[in-house]
Amino acid sequence: MKKPSSAGLKNNRIKFIIGGGLFLVAVILMVISATKATSEFFMTVKEVLEAEDDLQGQNLRVSGAVIGDSIAYDAKTGELRFVIAHIPADKDLVKGDSGLSEVLHQAVNDPNNPRLDVYHRGSPPDMLRDEAQAILTGTLNPEGVFIAEELLLKCPSKYEEALPDPVEH
Amino acid sequence: MLSVFGYLALALAFLLAVFGLMAALFGVILKEPAWIKSARSALLLIFLLVTISLVVLLLLLAGLRFELGYVYSVTSRDMPLYMRLTALWGGQSGSLLFWSWLLAGFSLFFGLRKWRQENDILAWALVVVFFTLGFFLMINVFFESPFERLWQMPDGSRILSLLSPSGAWLLTPADGQGLNPLLRHPGMIWHPPVLYLGFIGFIIPFALAVGSLAVGRRDRRWLEIARPWILITWVFLSLGLVLGMRWAYDVLGWGGYWGWDPVEVAALLPWLSATALLHTQILQERRDSFKRWNYALVVLTFVLVIFGTFITRSGVLSSVHTFAGSSIWLPMLIYTAVLVLVSLGLLVYRWRDLRAEYEPEFGFNKETLVLFTNMVLLSILVICLLGVIYPLLSELLTNTQITVGPAWYKRITGPLFIVLVLLAGVCPLAVWSGTNLLRLKKRVWIVLLLSALVPLLTWLLGEVRNIVVLASLWLVGFSILVMLADYLQQAIAAQRKHGGHIISALWAPVRRNLRRYGGVLVHLGIILMTIGIIGIEGLQQEVQTNLAIGEQVELSGFIFKFESLEHSEDAGRLITEAVLTISRDGKPRGALYPRREIFTNMGLAITHPGLKSNLAEDLYAILIDWQPDSQDQGAFSIYYNPLVSWLWIGAAVLTFGAILAVLPEKPRKTR
Repeated sequence: MKKPSSAGLKNNRIKFIIGGGLFLVAVILMVISATKATSEFFMTVKEVLEAEDDLQGQNLRVSGAVIGDSIAYDAKTGELRFVIAHIPADKDLVKGDSGLSEVLHQAVNDPNNPRLDVYHRGSPPDMLRDEAQAILTGTLNPEGVFIAEELLLKCPSKYEEALPDPVEH
Repeated sequence: MLSVFGYLALALAFLLAVFGLMAALFGVILKEPAWIKSARSALLLIFLLVTISLVVLLLLLAGLRFELGYVYSVTSRDMPLYMRLTALWGGQSGSLLFWSWLLAGFSLFFGLRKWRQENDILAWALVVVFFTLGFFLMINVFFESPFERLWQMPDGSRILSLLSPSGAWLLTPADGQGLNPLLRHPGMIWHPPVLYLGFIGFIIPFALAVGSLAVGRRDRRWLEIARPWILITWVFLSLGLVLGMRWAYDVLGWGGYWGWDPVEVAALLPWLSATALLHTQILQERRDSFKRWNYALVVLTFVLVIFGTFITRSGVLSSVHTFAGSSIWLPMLIYTAVLVLVSLGLLVYRWRDLRAEYEPEFGFNKETLVLFTNMVLLSILVICLLGVIYPLLSELLTNTQITVGPAWYKRITGPLFIVLVLLAGVCPLAVWSGTNLLRLKKRVWIVLLLSALVPLLTWLLGEVRNIVVLASLWLVGFSILVMLADYLQQAIAAQRKHGGHIISALWAPVRRNLRRYGGVLVHLGIILMTIGIIGIEGLQQEVQTNLAIGEQVELSGFIFKFESLEHSEDAGRLITEAVLTISRDGKPRGALYPRREIFTNMGLAITHPGLKSNLAEDLYAILIDWQPDSQDQGAFSIYYNPLVSWLWIGAAVLTFGAILAVLPEKPRKTR
């Protein structure tokens, strides 16, 4: 294998750097445009209600506790409506499961807690039920109803950490 | 008492791992082979002990010993035996024990191999292996033990503890909570263990890399030993990801296979860096270049494996996979920090020794293409990483959490994946070194034109008008044809040279170069998988409707008629199953049986889609059935998913190719 001259080597390197650089610029531009078009603000129900007017058209992600009695699904039209209650942002939550289920329970049962109406075109997910944590993606309409494109649900207390009631010993 | 026995075996294994770490360290520092030997023997004992502990846990799971907190949380009386056993990885502490067992198995396998002149690398690698083994066993013993039992305290509280706290009595619940219904699926038997294998296997290449750096060797011996490990682990990782897709497709019931969930993305990250490594390791092997790069990629891959486990287990991110919030994030963080600091520190320390002997020339040659492939793979990796940490990052910078979803990922990585397919397609056209020499020469135009038939026919017959889909299909057709043409050219040349039957001529190039054709098959597998992905991403059609019995709906030329709705009860589940018959142009085409199962004791329902699949398309129906009181009404989501089968077929081809590539070859003349 013959070694290229040092000038040729430099030239060669410059080609690699230019080629790679162009590619990287293209990727960065794609990231920026996609972020502008699709990124979502993660907010609590309270924050959404406070800034309602400024949020029109903005992609949002809202987390809240599902109020079971409010769930209504119209199978004829495929429209789902329910209400979520405010829960504090993740960072302020008590770590661990029992903490979260407690927070969800309180959020649902406190009538003074801010609430947000949710509308979703599509079927209700399996885990949509009372005191589940809903993480919704979508936008706010002018009437202040949250139009959810996507629903993610978590039911924390069910599987782990919850110790059983005594049965026999 | 069985549980205490299982715990003791585990604790003993941990102590032995600490001993092994010490012994290996003494061995390499004092250059005493006896210590190394004793450390290697410890691997056997550790594996035996962890196996005992694992068997004990399996017995407890099978025997429904609900006094154990873990057994209580993941099994119940209505679960069949196989599911009780696979509940081993249904929860956090069990899956961590399983993880350690696999790790001990890999380590043993590594320790048992014949050690020849590369003793020095292997001895240091042993230190790394023991460090990792010791760490995970420590997690099992001190942080996440599956052997803790439930105790009722005198003050009425209930706690989890291995041994009886004073004054407490043992609680034995009559039934357990049972495994999360979403995990009660045959796909869940395979997805986690295969993925784990695809994660853990990278410990060996990583250990070898650190070993080689520690000794200060400049050659590529470590990579030669590591290559089969990298390849096999990579196959497991690929299969693990695909099985996860299959499970999502069959169980999660949204008609998709990949949701860009943070944990999915986290499992994709090591796959991307390992794929990059598989490509640049060839450059080191052939050209003795990219030494630093390969070290860096091995370290990156293993760190991403640990990162993947960390974010699955620690509850840092919200995802369908995340187990409950956990106490293990701090030790995981410390362990990862040590790994990164030591391995990158060594790399920097040896930086000057690892100068490349050769620089690739810019142009249309394999070196440049491999480099470009690396850039694309690593760009996708960085983008995925950015997507995962974006919420945390934005919160730090702007005080508002900003998240990115599937749309974001698809928009950026979609074009990059297409570039990868293009690269895989043109790669056989390029030669090693040199520039602008097309192997197929002018014939490439024939291939280009022939492959244009694929989008053309799709446009005419399939009435597809989506330009991106058509262009992607052209690319796919082109890539496959290039591979085929290149292969046929080799076969014809072989027949001209050696004569013989045409069949043996077809096999000859493969037999002589298993590695190369294994690689070609892996690429073919990826391209076939791309066909499935194009089908579901670009051509999926969906209808959501409410039908009464006897009513029908049309989707993509198929008529779906709602025939009946049946209710039954089985092992704690209320099952509602709908029958949808399919017809097209008046001819019957079978039926779909979408189902809903309600787990009465949990108040949870899961959907089982009805699925009918062939090479051309999948018909996929979900029964929504929101109002169970309406006996003759059903709400359905019906999907038409073209070409999805190729996703699974491609995965099989990829596996087969990788097995070929890893088979021992007849020794080749060295260059």
